[in-house]
Amino acid sequence: MQKLDLKITELDNPDYSRILDRAKKRIEEAILNATVTDQTRNIEIELLSFPIAIMMVATTKDAFLKRRYALAEAKRVYNILKQETNKQKLTEIAECFNWKIKHTRYERNNAQTSTADFSVHFTNYLKNAGGFHEDKWKLVNRTMLNGEVYITKDEAARLLEEEVRTHVENKLETKIDISLPQTIEKEVERLKQLFNTRRGKIRQEEMPTETVLEAFPPCMRQLYNMAPTGRHISHVGRFALTSFLLNSGMPVESIIEHFRPTSDFSEKMTRYQVEHIAGGRGSRTKYVPPKCDTLRTHGICPGIDEDCRRVGHPLACYKRKLRSMKAQSPAQTP
Amino acid sequence: MVVDKIQTQEFIQHKFAEYYKENSNTIELPSSLEKREYAFLLFRDKTMLRHKGFKNAEGFRAFLLRSTPSDVYYSSAYFEKPEAEMDAKGWLGADLIFDIDADHIPTQCNGQHDIWICKNCRATGHGAKPEKCPKCGAQKFTEISWLCDTCLESAKEETIKLLEVLERDFGFSVNEMKLAFSGHRGYHVHIEDPAVRTLDSIARKEIVDYMAGIGLKIAAYDIEGGHGPGFDDFGWSGRIAKGTYEFLLTTNQEQLENIALKRKPAARIIGQKDKILESWKSKGPWKLLKDVGPDSWRKILRQCVEKQSVKIDTVVTTDVHRLIRLANTLHGETGLKKVELAANEIERFDPLKSALAFTHGSISLEVAEAPQFRLRDTIYGPFKNQKVELPAAEAMFLLCKGVARVLEESVSVQ
Repeated sequence: MQKLDLKITELDNPDYSRILDRAKKRIEEAILNATVTDQTRNIEIELLSFPIAIMMVATTKDAFLKRRYALAEAKRVYNILKQETNKQKLTEIAECFNWKIKHTRYERNNAQTSTADFSVHFTNYLKNAGGFHEDKWKLVNRTMLNGEVYITKDEAARLLEEEVRTHVENKLETKIDISLPQTIEKEVERLKQLFNTRRGKIRQEEMPTETVLEAFPPCMRQLYNMAPTGRHISHVGRFALTSFLLNSGMPVESIIEHFRPTSDFSEKMTRYQVEHIAGGRGSRTKYVPPKCDTLRTHGICPGIDEDCRRVGHPLACYKRKLRSMKAQSPAQTP
Repeated sequence: MVVDKIQTQEFIQHKFAEYYKENSNTIELPSSLEKREYAFLLFRDKTMLRHKGFKNAEGFRAFLLRSTPSDVYYSSAYFEKPEAEMDAKGWLGADLIFDIDADHIPTQCNGQHDIWICKNCRATGHGAKPEKCPKCGAQKFTEISWLCDTCLESAKEETIKLLEVLERDFGFSVNEMKLAFSGHRGYHVHIEDPAVRTLDSIARKEIVDYMAGIGLKIAAYDIEGGHGPGFDDFGWSGRIAKGTYEFLLTTNQEQLENIALKRKPAARIIGQKDKILESWKSKGPWKLLKDVGPDSWRKILRQCVEKQSVKIDTVVTTDVHRLIRLANTLHGETGLKKVELAANEIERFDPLKSALAFTHGSISLEVAEAPQFRLRDTIYGPFKNQKVELPAAEAMFLLCKGVARVLEESVSVQ
């Protein structure tokens, strides 16, 4: 941008219209298709339109749109890298993100991580694969030696996609203090509206407002039933149950009452913690319960049942059960 | 159980003050000391003083002498403003820490030496606390965890396993792993490598699962195709292979049936043991015996994962705001100190000799109840309602555990 002496205030200049058009297109594609196409034939336009699109999305101050745009740009990168046959190129890109990565040839024919094209430092691996749900991404199922995790080329592309997603998300968080030319502001407004019309469809249905005990996943049912018996519940267990109940729509007061019989109950303490988790204190963050994987780590998962087999989160399991219960029972009339 | 609790408390605090007066210069602050939060558990009301920050070791030592706490902690995390409230601290990263504590390991002694005391009627008993007091039905208890050589040995074995995985699989050098005896029933390992500092708790959870073998997919091995874990495999796979070999070396019919193998395949394995062990040199035993199918092998492999897994406290490692005891400070529950040791010295290390803080004089006590314990080379107790004179470290141990009251201190050097 500096080299071309491009100024933001001049962006509505017709000379730059092709760049601006592409920037708009990128965002549109992200909204409509959740990915951005590869237009690298016009390399300059492709390069210059990216920071402009970033700026436009950043000014919407819409967290949901930002997330979607970051993901779409990351998908674009994945689609390109997946096709890349030159291993050296992949390495160079990874190194731009400060990865410690090496070409390697590792072959074993006994397990799922049996062949590898690269090895990456486990910290680079974990920062990106930490949120993936499939078993094969769990570190414990990888081949690792001397701090290096062995991965295939396709896996490297997938991990880089994640790296790009966080990178774009961070870029979208930069504060923009300049005012944009009016024509661009109008465009941003139009894109915002386009997104608003799709928002409901994109977002999964909201959580119901009433807690339905019958739809609890086994872990939460167990924790929930433990409290009235006065048995001790671990710190992680309390957090998981409280955040679960709050997210299922149970009011703070009912939750405190529910904890009353526990062996070391203190009303003041319990209230403080429940309100904190509800987002009413301090950070004002509203917490969600840990995912299944984490509950397993801390020994809270009592083993999966039919309904939670295919989901990775107690809330997802709950929603799923609610849906199937609704489908089974005819609508109730008051 | 113990009379004159206050007087004993004052005495312990007085001894702690004495110790710090003589030894505060041995306390080294952690790296990036000014970015850490410090916390002090005070004797008075057992309140925790948090969100303290220090610019240098002198300031810290002066504070320590002024306040004489029962326990001293610092944050594994680095903060922009360590003294601010939690939400305003500005988290910059955190060391990777592991806590191995006998509490989390199934031990031979099974905690039978631990004591519980009913808060209502003061009834006492040994082992894990009951749901309800057998005497009065109350549900609140004070628990006193004891320590014995069996517990400490189990903790040491787990720590050795941990260090090995950290070195071989994670690639940390002996110098990068800071090891310490916690002052009670376990060990801490700290890694301050800048590469791990910014790992979030999801990433750390993956490290925990790796250590504990949680989520390890045995089903991923193509046993049907004759491909199981091999000795030369890296990471867990190689570890399972070696574990399986060792297991087969010593196992018997009963053990195999205990892990749900059917009678017939179990008998075949025992009968053909030599052949199986020999097969590891080539293709492995996976398709060697007709009666021993993939299911049986998977059961054996799963059992070996359990054996090879490292029993760490999962919460400590995943918590990126953890407070951890500062080295060379005293443990309020034992009067022992947290001591650092080199990773390659752990085999020879005896915490009950090296972690002693009070080495002069002796103290007369009245002991209410104490299971047997060892310090240095002497075994003491068990005691029940009796007056004894013990060397300072041993006496402080019982006082800190809350099972004795002080009668008289004699300062003469033994």
